[in-house]
Amino acid sequence: MIYDEPRFRPGGDRFIEMELGDELNFDLNFLVHALTARVREARLDGIVELLPNMASIVISYAPERIGYDDVLREIGALHGSLGSLEDVELPSPLYTFPVLYFDHLTRACWEDYCARIGEKEYDPDLMVRLNALESRAQLARIHSGTEYWVAALGFYPGLASLIALDPRCRLTAPKYNPPRTWTPKGTLGYGGSVTCLYPARTPGGYQIIGHSPVPVFDLEQRLRAFRDRLALLRPGDRVRFVPVGREEYDHVTAQVESGAYEHQVAAYAKFSIRAYHEWLATLDMSVRF
Amino acid sequence: MIEVVKAGLETGVQDFPGRYGFWEQGFPPSGPFDMWSFRLANLLVGNADDAAGLEIQFLGPTLRFESETLIALTGATMAPTLDGVPMPQWESVAVPAGAVLETGFASTGARTYLAVAGGIDTAPVLGSRSTFHMAGVGGMEGHALKDGQRLPLGDRAGAGRPGRRVRADCRPPIPAGKEWRIEVVAGPNDDWIDEAGQHMFLESAWTLQARSNRTGYRLSGPEWTFAARATDKGPEHGEHPSNILDHGYPVGAVNLCGQTPIILVNDGPSAGGFINPFTVPSAAFWKLAQSKPNDVYRFDLVSVADAQAERQRIDALCAEASLEDAG
Amino acid sequence: MIFDEPRFLPGGDTFVLVQFGDDARIDLNFMALGLTAALREDRTKGVIDTNPSYNSVVVEYDPDLIGADDLERELRRLIEGLGPVEDLELESRLAYLPVMYRDPWTKACVEDYAERIAPREGDPEFVARINGLEDAAQLARVHSGTEHWVVAVCSTPGLPLMVALDPRCAITSPKYNPPRTWTTLGAIGVGGLSTSIYTTPGPGGYNLIGRTPVPLWDTQARLPAYRDRVVLLDAADRVKFVPVEREEFDYIESRVADGTYTFNVTGYQRFSVRAYKAWAASLDASERF
Repeated sequence: MIYDEPRFRPGGDRFIEMELGDELNFDLNFLVHALTARVREARLDGIVELLPNMASIVISYAPERIGYDDVLREIGALHGSLGSLEDVELPSPLYTFPVLYFDHLTRACWEDYCARIGEKEYDPDLMVRLNALESRAQLARIHSGTEYWVAALGFYPGLASLIALDPRCRLTAPKYNPPRTWTPKGTLGYGGSVTCLYPARTPGGYQIIGHSPVPVFDLEQRLRAFRDRLALLRPGDRVRFVPVGREEYDHVTAQVESGAYEHQVAAYAKFSIRAYHEWLATLDMSVRF
Repeated sequence: MIEVVKAGLETGVQDFPGRYGFWEQGFPPSGPFDMWSFRLANLLVGNADDAAGLEIQFLGPTLRFESETLIALTGATMAPTLDGVPMPQWESVAVPAGAVLETGFASTGARTYLAVAGGIDTAPVLGSRSTFHMAGVGGMEGHALKDGQRLPLGDRAGAGRPGRRVRADCRPPIPAGKEWRIEVVAGPNDDWIDEAGQHMFLESAWTLQARSNRTGYRLSGPEWTFAARATDKGPEHGEHPSNILDHGYPVGAVNLCGQTPIILVNDGPSAGGFINPFTVPSAAFWKLAQSKPNDVYRFDLVSVADAQAERQRIDALCAEASLEDAG
Repeated sequence: MIFDEPRFLPGGDTFVLVQFGDDARIDLNFMALGLTAALREDRTKGVIDTNPSYNSVVVEYDPDLIGADDLERELRRLIEGLGPVEDLELESRLAYLPVMYRDPWTKACVEDYAERIAPREGDPEFVARINGLEDAAQLARVHSGTEHWVVAVCSTPGLPLMVALDPRCAITSPKYNPPRTWTTLGAIGVGGLSTSIYTTPGPGGYNLIGRTPVPLWDTQARLPAYRDRVVLLDAADRVKFVPVEREEFDYIESRVADGTYTFNVTGYQRFSVRAYKAWAASLDASERF
C-alpha cells in the first residue's frame, strides 16, 4: 500500500528513513523519485544526500545545520505539495544495451559453480521452466521485449535494480543458495522480479542469462559516457536490452576495449505517469512476446 | 614522497569527511573510521581538515620519508619508532629526510592515524582521496598500500610545528580491556522487532566476529524475535522475518541478516533487503573503529537529540584548543 | 528557412496549407505536429482533417461551417498558443520494429533492378560507402542506433516518413534514378535524410537496406494491434529498429501469418523539444556507433 502520510524513522543521529509505503509498486516508486527530485530542487540547507529506493528514501542530513524535526517538517511540506501523482512527468533517458543471451561466459560461470559448489539447473532453463515459457528463445524475446525502469541503485557502485515496465514481460526467478563466489562483469542477472547488469566481477545470487559487453561502471572513465560519471545509470532512467549474435557481440566487445564505443542513449523523452497508466490499460495481459 | 618499505596489514589513504554526493550511485562515504583521532592528527601537523592521511589497521607499515617533514600519530597505541628511537603519539614530531618510521602492532585500540604536513596528495576520485577498497576507488591505486609504492605529499601550507600535543582529556578514551559500551538510536525498523527482541538486544553481550572490516561489523549473540510486521507482509519483502523490500541503509545501521546483526560502517552497502532495527550514531564510530575481534559490546539506547549532542561535543574537541605544548 | 510568420496558402475551397518554413529542419516539423495536436484538442468548428508534413500542415475544412478568414484567425490563435518551439511537448509513442538488415529479399529486388534497368552495387554497401562508414554492418549499427522521428504518415497507407533523432546516426543518400518499378513489401528504405518502410509492393526510389516482417497497416484487424486502428504509426511517434537474424525474422513472420503477433509499442512518454535540443547539443556528431 501507499501510506496516506509518510512515516519517518530515525537512523542514528544523521539519517532518517522516510517510508512512503511497503510494497513493490510502480506508483510508489514514481512517488519516491518525484519526491526525491522535488527535494533536490528545493536545495534545503543541511540536507546532505538522498537515497531513494523501491518504497522509501533515506535522507542524510547535517544535524549542525538542520534539526530532526525541521527535516520532517520541510520534507513533509514538499511531499504535501506534490499534487496528483498522475500529473507527474519525470525526465527519463533510455539506454540500449546489446546482449548475447545464453552466452559462453555465464555458461562457464554456471559450470564452475556446479563443479565447485553444487549441481544446479542451467539458469536459462530454470527460468523457462518456472515461468512456463516455451523455449530459451522466448525467454530472450520476453526479457528484451520491455523497457526497464531503474527503480534503485546501490549495494555496489553502478549496480541498478531494473524492473520491467511492460507487465507482460515480468518474470520471476529464485536466488542462488548458496550464492556464487564470482560472476563475470557485464552478466545479465535476474532475481525476484528484478533484473540487473553486474557492474564488476563480484559475488552474486541472481540467475544469470546473458552478457553485455557494454560497461555500466568504469573507474577509469575511458568511454565517453563516463566522462562526467563513474556509474552510468540513475534512478528513473530506462534500459532496453537488444539481443545480438556472436559476431555483433564480438564487434562491440572490441569497440569497448579500444575505447571507441559510444553508449546508445536517448535523453529527451519524459516519462508521464498518466500516460503510463493509460497505456497499461490498453494491454492484453494474456499475450506474451 | 613517502616510500612504503613494508605495507603492514591494511593501511589506506583516507580524508575527512570522506566521499559525499555519490551515495545514491552506490558509493559509500568511506573516510577515516575514527574521525575523532584522525582530525586531531591533522590539527597537530597544521593541516586543513580535509587533508588526507593514513589509516593504519592492526599491524602498521614501515615508511621512509624522502624529505624532511612534520608528522603525528593518533588513535590506537602502537610502538612507533623513528630511525629506531621510540616516538611519542598524540604529538607532532619533526622528521628528517630519509628517516624511517616503524609502527608495529596496535596494543590498545585497533586503528592508528598518521598525518603528514601537507597531506597525502594522491589523486582525488569523486571529490575525495578516501580509499574504497571493495570497488578500487580512491586512495593509492584504489586499494591499501603495497610494498614499494611511493606516496605523493601536498605542499606544506599550515603553521604546524613540532612539540604540540593533544591534551589527555581531549583524546578518545580508548579502553585497555575488551568491554565496550556503544550508543544506539532506535530505528529505522525497530517496529519489526517485538518488545522482547528489543529488550534482548539492549541487555545482551555481543561479540565482534573476526570476519569484520570497514564494510561491516558482524556480531554474535542471542536469537532475535520479531513483531507482527516482520511476519505479516507481502511476498515482495522476502520470506525471512528480517527481509524487507529493498531500501536504503543508514551508515551505522545494525543490519539484521537472518539472525546475524551486522553494523554497516564506512564502506558498507548503501542499500539492500534487510531490516535495520537500530543505528549506531556517528559519535560512537570511534569506538567501533578502535575495537578488535572478540571484543564485547553492550548497547545503550540514546535519543536522536542525545546522539547529536555527543557529536557536537566531539566536534568541539577537534579544535586548536585541545592542543598544548609538550612539556 | 523558418518563416517569421506562418504562411497560409489556399488549396481550393476546402483546404488551407499552413507553412512554417521551406526546408526539412526538424523544428518546422515540431511546429507542424504541435499545431496538429492543438487542432485535435481544440476541436475547432469546421475543421475536418489535418495532414501534417515536414514543415507544413494541410487543414481540410467545411466552408459551410467556417470561412477561410475565420479559419486563418483560429489557426493563428492556436499557433500563438504553442509558444516557442522549445516549449512544445508532444505525445509520442515508441515502436520497436524488428528488422533484418541485408536481407535476401531486398537484395534480390536490387539485383533485379541492376539486371533489368541500370547496373548498380548493393544498396547497403552503396549507402555505407557514400556515408564514409566501414561496411554494411556498421550501417546497420548506425541505422538501428537511433530512434527515428515519424515526420508524417503519407504516400501509401501507413507509410512512415522518418528522420534519425540522434545526429550521430544521420545518413544521407541519393534516390534511385530512374526509380524501381517494384519494391519488396516491408523493405526499409533510405533516401535523402529520410527513412521509410514500404507498406505496399509498389515502385520506389529509396535505397533498400533491410526488411521488417511486420505489417504497418491492416484494414482487416487481423492482428490485435489493429483492433482499434488501421495504421500502426502516427506522426510524432518514434520508431526504434531492432536488428534480428533470419531465425527470429522467420519466427515473427509466422506469428504475423497466424495472427498472433504482438507489436512492441510503448506509450508513456512525452517528447520534449527543449530536452531534445539540449541532448542533441551535448553530442559529438562526428562520432558514429
